[in-house]
Amino acid sequence: MANTAETAAAPGTPVVRLDGVSREYGKASGAFAAVSDLSLDVPRGSFTTLLGPSGCGKTTTLRMIAGFVRPTSGRILLEGADATSTPPEKRNIGMVFQSYALFPHMTLRDNVAFGLRTRRIAKPEVLRRAGEALELVGLSHLADRRPAQLSGGQQQRVALARAVAVRPSVLLLDEPLSNLDARLRVQMRQELLRVQRETGLTAVLVTHDQDEALELSDHLVIMNGGRLEQQGAPREVFPAPANRFVAEFLGYQNFLTVPGHGPVTVRPEHTRLLADGEAAGGDGVLLDAQVRGVTYQGSHCLVEVAAASGDGEATLHCLHPGDDVRPGARVRIALPHRHLVALAGGAGTEDR
Amino acid sequence: MIRRPFLTLLAAVAFTIMLGPVVILLGVAFTAGSTLTFPPEGLSLRWFGAALAYQPFLDSFRTSVVVALTSTLFALALGIPAAVALHRGSLPGRRVLENLFLSPVIVPELVLGLALFQQIMVGLHSTATAALVLGHTVLLLPYAVRVAGASLALADPRLEEAARGLGAGPVRTFFSVTLPVMRPGILSAAILAFVTSLNNVPLSLLLTGPGVATLPVEMLNYVQSSFDPVVAAVSVLLLAGSVAVALVTERLVGFTKVFGR
Ligand SMILES: Nc1ncnc2c1ncn2[C@@H]1O[C@H](COP(=O)(O)OP(=O)(O)O)[C@@H](O)[C@H]1O
Ligand SMILES: [Mg+2]
Repeated sequence: MANTAETAAAPGTPVVRLDGVSREYGKASGAFAAVSDLSLDVPRGSFTTLLGPSGCGKTTTLRMIAGFVRPTSGRILLEGADATSTPPEKRNIGMVFQSYALFPHMTLRDNVAFGLRTRRIAKPEVLRRAGEALELVGLSHLADRRPAQLSGGQQQRVALARAVAVRPSVLLLDEPLSNLDARLRVQMRQELLRVQRETGLTAVLVTHDQDEALELSDHLVIMNGGRLEQQGAPREVFPAPANRFVAEFLGYQNFLTVPGHGPVTVRPEHTRLLADGEAAGGDGVLLDAQVRGVTYQGSHCLVEVAAASGDGEATLHCLHPGDDVRPGARVRIALPHRHLVALAGGAGTEDR
Repeated sequence: MIRRPFLTLLAAVAFTIMLGPVVILLGVAFTAGSTLTFPPEGLSLRWFGAALAYQPFLDSFRTSVVVALTSTLFALALGIPAAVALHRGSLPGRRVLENLFLSPVIVPELVLGLALFQQIMVGLHSTATAALVLGHTVLLLPYAVRVAGASLALADPRLEEAARGLGAGPVRTFFSVTLPVMRPGILSAAILAFVTSLNNVPLSLLLTGPGVATLPVEMLNYVQSSFDPVVAAVSVLLLAGSVAVALVTERLVGFTKVFGR
């Protein structure tokens, strides 16, 4: 497939720019904001992911980019031009719906060719490109079937082929893997990544699955309650969550206040559980604690302790390599300075 | 199977009630005798011959078919856009409209017919056929909206968005996605509407004028003056026609399964 890697290499205008975009629902009196004052850039050639819990406004954001939902305020720029009131058919997008939305009365070939036929492309070229797109997802041999005759995974691939066939300026994916069973879902992640790389397309993925987001994206946007919480490369965001919401969403479990640090979080694998008299070694914070529970997990144990922290007692989860601690035991917990992640605003344990 | 004597008995009673008249009708229609009696006095096809030779039946059958076809077409032409608006539009007060489309089913048809009779035939001096077509269109509209709309209600509402996203404008989306997706529903609606119009008595009774009648109305006129089995033979012919239509419907429903979702 001819790709747009040349343009991807060139830095410049973001493919999509949201400029203070809001979307409200309901009457003016009791208006509810599905998305509030959201500003973000989708870098060219990137695999950008909108990650957040259900109902945080991800789909609404994606549908505003596609043109199916009009923002109540703010601007949407596509390829640098204001597209806030451009209808979807003029936006040159490729969208993969959660339900796939394949045309039931058309063969796979006609499904994939649909977007090419609306573009006044010569017939032989339409067929060639539809064939290429089906080839890309490995379904050429089923081109004459109808969607109802396919498995969920195959339908998913057709939906992807249909969206990439038009060479959109941005590929929009709304939880495309959520209707697949667990094993297929993990396989399809790499498939999705391969298609995005081979086509050189810019992609925006919506998901509530943090593993999926971390594995796929090179730009991560974390949302909560219609607002942006944090964005950046997964390798930057994951080790340094900005606040408690992001930390919890990325799987951090330990929240405490340490004198001289304020509210912090630390991952279970970065804590050290010291037996009586064992030296801490290296610099770090030492806390007295009592073991509450031990969960055996083969290569290690997950130990839950009640630790005396700056603002009273905190529950910590510690990864411990041995199987030598029992509930009730008095221990000390060492937290290395370099693994303590400072959290902004209202990160206290009581602030749930 | 678990034995349920009471249920079995109920089912037997139900089938007897439903099929009993049909059996009697068949017996009377094929009789060789000359009165409406059961059991038949020998077998013959003479009353079918008589029915097909009776000019008023032939004329009224033609009227019935013309009225049924025309009003079905009108009902679909109005009902399909209405169904799309109800299921896909963001109309305010969708519920109210939906109930409005159901209303002719609730309002007794006689009242409706009387109203139309007075307004149109007397007020506008319109022809009986025009009044029949108009009345039947109103009668069939709810079926058209509901049955044609059913296939839309079942279809993924994202289909139209998918088409728009792929570059199709609203008109192209309607003709290349919405309408084909509704096809099985439209076919079912057409058949249901046609049969409903063909069999209607109360509305037609009020809208028929001098020299113009639908077949059921003509049959009603006939039994009021004679007691020979001709009417039974006509009924059997109508029944055979309806069964044929039902079989076609079954085939079309099977067709829907091939399309699937
Ligand atoms: N058309 C709509 N009318 C009213 N509320 C809506 C509409 N679409 C979305 N919402 C609300 O906006 C919020 C965000 O929805 P959505 O964008 O679908 O979230 P997500 O995709 O992150 O789960 C939800 O609370 C949802 O109920
Ligand atoms: Mg969603």
